Amino acid sequence: MNLTRREVKGRYTQSLFGIGWAIAQPLATMAVFTLVFSRLGKIPSGGVPYPLFAYCALVPWFFFSNSVNSGTLSLITYRNIVTKTYFPREIVPLAQVCSRLVDLAASAALYALLMVYYGVGVGRWGLLLPFFFLMLVLFTIGVTLVTSSVNVFYRDVNPVVQIGLQLWMYLTPVAYPLSAAPERYRVFYMLNPLTAIVEGFRSSLVFGRPPDWQLVGISIAMIVALLGGALVMFKRMDKYFADVI
Amino acid sequence: MSSDIAIRLEQVTKRYRTGRSRTIVDLVASGVDQLRGRSIEVHSTTRGRIDGTISALRDVSFEAPTGTGLGIIGRNGAGKTTLLKLISRVTWPTSGTVRVAGHAVSLIELGAGFHPELTGRENVYLGGGLFGLTRREIDRHFDDIVSFADVARLIDTPMKRYSSGLYARLGFSVAIYSRPDIVLVDEVLSVGDAAFRRRALEALRRLIAEGKTVLFISHDMWNVRRLCSDILWMEDGGVRAYGPAGEIAERYMNEVNIEALANQATALQSHRGGTGEVRYRTVDLVDEAGAPTGMLAAGATLIVRTAYHAGQPVERPVFQVAIVDVDTGLVITTATSRIGDSPDLVSGDGVIECRFTRLPLRPRQYVLRLSITDQHQLASYDVVTAGPRFAVTGQGGGVESLADEEDGLVSLPFEFTHRTP
Repeated sequence: MNLTRREVKGRYTQSLFGIGWAIAQPLATMAVFTLVFSRLGKIPSGGVPYPLFAYCALVPWFFFSNSVNSGTLSLITYRNIVTKTYFPREIVPLAQVCSRLVDLAASAALYALLMVYYGVGVGRWGLLLPFFFLMLVLFTIGVTLVTSSVNVFYRDVNPVVQIGLQLWMYLTPVAYPLSAAPERYRVFYMLNPLTAIVEGFRSSLVFGRPPDWQLVGISIAMIVALLGGALVMFKRMDKYFADVI
Repeated sequence: MSSDIAIRLEQVTKRYRTGRSRTIVDLVASGVDQLRGRSIEVHSTTRGRIDGTISALRDVSFEAPTGTGLGIIGRNGAGKTTLLKLISRVTWPTSGTVRVAGHAVSLIELGAGFHPELTGRENVYLGGGLFGLTRREIDRHFDDIVSFADVARLIDTPMKRYSSGLYARLGFSVAIYSRPDIVLVDEVLSVGDAAFRRRALEALRRLIAEGKTVLFISHDMWNVRRLCSDILWMEDGGVRAYGPAGEIAERYMNEVNIEALANQATALQSHRGGTGEVRYRTVDLVDEAGAPTGMLAAGATLIVRTAYHAGQPVERPVFQVAIVDVDTGLVITTATSRIGDSPDLVSGDGVIECRFTRLPLRPRQYVLRLSITDQHQLASYDVVTAGPRFAVTGQGGGVESLADEEDGLVSLPFEFTHRTP
């Protein structure tokens, strides 16, 4: 908890806009996407304003990718603490994920403004939002635990993660709806828990309709398996962190 | 584990890998080597060894009872810090068991958890949290923490503006107030000024008096003996000796001093200055009987016997001998000129003796500084900045004999009188 505060405060001190930068990132990407995909690429957004459609997916996406990005390096960034004091090591990557929740909250606040601007309301399916939010956080934690711990032993993980995240965004229906993805690749989309999460955010917030339950079911199973495996793996490796870091 | 044992190590061994880490180039290269039938060693010699381990600790066993100050001494690389890391659970033993009863706080590096962009105030809360304090507990101790570290003036300044001494002081202060059961201190008292060092030692002493256990790594025997009732002497990853502080410290100092004395001849060569018309050739420390000595009991007589050589006749040179305390600085200077016994003219070889009768120094390590100057003490013919060292030992030693009523550098006879009007 304290590490989270440290991380958030440290990130935005000596910066003029402070937390404003947390909003700038999805906002700028939304603008680019609107231009490239909606205006030029004529990507369908299912009858809702495309900026809203994209932004709704970009908020959870950036939470995920920023968390994994800084989380992967976290144990090395905090090597001072890791090699000098004892505490449960999973706190370090967890604090990274938690600190991104602040960014998420800020960008979500802007989303609320966008909804007012476009005159889109939230229906009863919006009640499912906390549920998808939970899926998002748990999945992010699972991935971060794996990448951060392996990165202690092999620094190759970081560049792999950097590149992987780039590709992953386009392999997740962030800029386009899942329905626009070719039918034969659909199975790969189903194996990507972020598909269900992003689509879930959209269906509950933008469209106000029930999510694809089959997709959600598969994702939950995968997230639980990933998180369990990641925790076991992390606890197995953490006693060697201080020696190899 | 019974409740009166705070720390118990049983046959603990810790090995570290040496050499650089394996890269994909090594994998490919070793594959190629295998195809070409070359041995791995060829590759290793050109690119540096990958394999190999080093035993930082070998088969270490000891127990530390609750409520004691345990000093850990030994030369660099003896395994002292590895020992603390194992006890603080930062790292794990390769084999053997480490048992620790209670909450151990490690002061291996002070302020390790601090964020330089945050203010001192924010970092107190951050650091306190890392040591397991709740916000409320920190609120309650906040003023004490700040006043102990003496940083009230800068508490709302980002810590990147702090000096390293201030940084460490605040770190120490936070750690002390986190009320640990076991405190691990690794040579951290070398930072900060004398006043802070003194306060820090007091705080550690208070913790011991309250029944906490303090493990204290230091090269400063003086501080170790003031704080610790027992000493663990580490050597080459093993326990060389473990026992009462006074006894072990004395043995250790003996060995260090013998070694230092053996290097004395070379010591005169370094840290040398002056124009060279007259130079010291040898500097010997002898006792009243004329026997060489490097350690003397408090109150004994010390004779500094120097042999000089003047390459040319020099008129009225002044020979100076100063005693310097290794930690705090100059104790006393003496010069032949003061008593009017400077030789009128020196040429060739001669011997100058400076006699300190009943040296009133407290048990510490001292170093001699010697020089030869002209009669006005303006030009230096010879300067030996770091001359021979000697140590003054206490009677028996141990914490009791070094209590506060007799602290400081010199022993002076004193008496108090008490009157009420």
